[in-house]
Amino acid sequence: MTRLIARRLLLLVPMVWLVATVTFVVVAAAPGSYADTVEHPGLTTEQRQAIRERYGLDEPVHRQYLRWLGAVATGDLGVSFVAKEPVARVLARALPPTLLLGGAALALDLLLGLAVAVAAARRPRGCFDRLSTVLALGLSGLPSFWLAGLAVLVFALLLGWFPASHMHSVGAEQLSAPARLADLVHHLVLPAACLGLVAAAGTARYLRSTLMDVRAERFILAARARGLGEGRVLWVHTLRPALLPVVTLLGLSLPVLVSGSVVIEAIFSWPGMGLVLLQAAQARDVPVIMAATMVGAVAVLLGSLVADVLYAVVDPRAREEVR
Amino acid sequence: MKQLAVALACALTVLACGSPSPAPEAGPGGAATARGGTVVIGLLSDVQSWNPYLAEDSATANLLALVYPSLAVEQADYHLHPPSFEPALARSWVWSDDGLVLELELDPRARWSDGVPITSRDVVFTWQAQVSPEVGWLFAAAKDGIDGVEAVDEHTVRVRFNRVDPYQLMDLNDGLIIPAHAWAGIPFDSWREVAWRERVVAGGPFSLAGHTPQQEIVLERNPGYFRPGLPRLDRAVFRIVPSDRGLVTQLLAGELDFVRSVPPADVDRVRADDDLELVVYDDRSYTHICWNTARPRLADPRVRRALTMAIDRETLVDVVYAGFVRMAVGPVLSSFWAFNQDLEPLPFDPEAARALLADAGWRDRDGDGIVERDGVPLALELLAPAENELRQDIALLVQEDLRRVGVEARPRFLEWGTLLAALDGGDFDGMVNLWEEPTRIDLAEVWHSPPADGASLNFGRYSNPEVDRLLAEVAELAEFPDRKPLLDRIQALIVADQPYTFLVENVRLTAHSARLRGAEINAATPYFNMDEWAVAPAGAE
Repeated sequence: MTRLIARRLLLLVPMVWLVATVTFVVVAAAPGSYADTVEHPGLTTEQRQAIRERYGLDEPVHRQYLRWLGAVATGDLGVSFVAKEPVARVLARALPPTLLLGGAALALDLLLGLAVAVAAARRPRGCFDRLSTVLALGLSGLPSFWLAGLAVLVFALLLGWFPASHMHSVGAEQLSAPARLADLVHHLVLPAACLGLVAAAGTARYLRSTLMDVRAERFILAARARGLGEGRVLWVHTLRPALLPVVTLLGLSLPVLVSGSVVIEAIFSWPGMGLVLLQAAQARDVPVIMAATMVGAVAVLLGSLVADVLYAVVDPRAREEVR
Repeated sequence: MKQLAVALACALTVLACGSPSPAPEAGPGGAATARGGTVVIGLLSDVQSWNPYLAEDSATANLLALVYPSLAVEQADYHLHPPSFEPALARSWVWSDDGLVLELELDPRARWSDGVPITSRDVVFTWQAQVSPEVGWLFAAAKDGIDGVEAVDEHTVRVRFNRVDPYQLMDLNDGLIIPAHAWAGIPFDSWREVAWRERVVAGGPFSLAGHTPQQEIVLERNPGYFRPGLPRLDRAVFRIVPSDRGLVTQLLAGELDFVRSVPPADVDRVRADDDLELVVYDDRSYTHICWNTARPRLADPRVRRALTMAIDRETLVDVVYAGFVRMAVGPVLSSFWAFNQDLEPLPFDPEAARALLADAGWRDRDGDGIVERDGVPLALELLAPAENELRQDIALLVQEDLRRVGVEARPRFLEWGTLLAALDGGDFDGMVNLWEEPTRIDLAEVWHSPPADGASLNFGRYSNPEVDRLLAEVAELAEFPDRKPLLDRIQALIVADQPYTFLVENVRLTAHSARLRGAEINAATPYFNMDEWAVAPAGAE
């Protein structure tokens, strides 16, 4: 087990380097640069050239790449072209909002997915099962930008129940701590619901089918034969083995948790990693694009490692394989 | 057409109301006198830096102008005469007889937000920062005409110019005054490493109360502001919303009080909301098709005139802009004092366009509907930015119009960086573009023959020796009235040559909540007289 973890961690470095290098090449291959995206009606050609020189964008690509690589190797992620401050500070600021939104969405995903799956599996092909199947299929087929737009239209514009964007209301800094927390939760509901509902639809479908599989197992029949109640059969004997794949789901959710959802964060002006990456991409803010991509790559790799390790921890059969 | 008339009427009303009112206190309903309240303004992007000399974009410059003072305020009267300046931090100024020395007297009431008086030392320090190569201010060229800035006494500043030019005051006023007592201790060469947010000392109407990056900026009244009793607002909150669509949504949801640019497509939704007001006014920009005159097919002015005359620009105004714009004439906006009033847009006349093409040797000899010369069909590629739907719609309409006179135009939508690379390299036929025109009228930037290395905004490689000669002559003249006849002549030459098809002059659609009072909304700056803005007390509606 330790060897597995050590091996995978060692592999992390070349993998992240590879992802970063490919990203750099792609960004550099696209025509134009930060200097071309600066919005100022009065900028002349010379002034745009001056911007290029200031950020080293006039140098050959391989030199820009080596300069960037050298800095990253010493732990320096560089300075954002747009925000004029260290990239590390930009990302450190964007991470908590993304974790909060991603965490809330994940909680909704798991709880709702589990509840629906269990309710549906209790009476297969029953009324609820059919209804939830149709709803889940519909939801997981919806593009998130469309769902988010609809949510804003209905719950923010028409009904006015929730704010349309941002993490806090105007003037929230003057509120007491509990009121400020309530304000934050109020703002969190719509984006977290948009992210979590779509994911929950997938989780519910997935869990329902594993529940059905487990129900067909002989040990369930044996449990029933022993005279156990339906509730105990479901909650103890069926659910526990059926939850195993959820562990994998959890590990695979880590990247979304850390990298954020570009679409949802942009629509709700949620100041997380997704929005930072989107704006950096639009402004060709190379140091931020590179750092955010690297964080995403690390999250993907760590996520799959965590999933494997967790799986080994909870499932003795997998532990044998890992060894 | 009716819509255009309405739009123009609105624009003119705004222009008429736009002149500085001597008694802004007497606002509508008398509510403008009320002090206090918060206005929430939508912003597309965050400020880049709290040091005005390190930021590169105009959005930052506009916002920082509320925090740092200016010597004077450029007025929005450029339609009548060259823009005039009203006193601000400098409460008066006197020119020497030779026009080379200017003495300014600073307002002795002015204080930085930490209570320190704003003095001539700040003005001298600001100039030093502006021209410092270590700071590398992008717009330092504006100070080329200034030889020195010195403090005569605490509140008197003397500026020495090295040339007499009608834009001397504009050039001097370019850039905001920064606090010497707080910033002079930081060496210029380390300015790029400083966290400026923590070092803001305000001297304008507002000071910085809070900044959550990518979320909001909170400004509050600066008690040391030199205009007594102002600003009226307690706070101005800027909420960052990264898309036009998002801004309008939040405006309609009642979460914003002010959005500077509403897309024409959203106008009906804004108008339908009783709590919102829409202001329509001339923007200082025009949309055009830049033709690459270096291409042999487009080198003949007759061909370019034919292209323009084949395009139904009135329909374009109605279809693409819902009637909110007017037809453009030439390189100077018709709302500018320098516009040549004798010029008119070329007429829409497909017959005459066909005749001009035939004159230039382009005829449909093989009957395929496309004109050709020496066996080569007149086929053009028309570029538009992939990010801009409006300009793509224009390209599609133009394609239809040109087909009717036998010209094949293929629209092609490119990402902005790719587009600029094509423009810089001269690798294009035509491009739907937009120019924002500064009130400092400098036609050489776009219309002088391009330098040998091609680095200029003259993307279409337009070259007319007579225009070049007149441009050089204009630059030598120190008085605006002397410049006007030459500017008129240059405009006439360019309109005759049609290196551009001048399409439309844009208007801006600004929306604000009905409770906002005293706001003078014009094209000068987005927050023109924000120190006089007020909000109606609750229940006053």
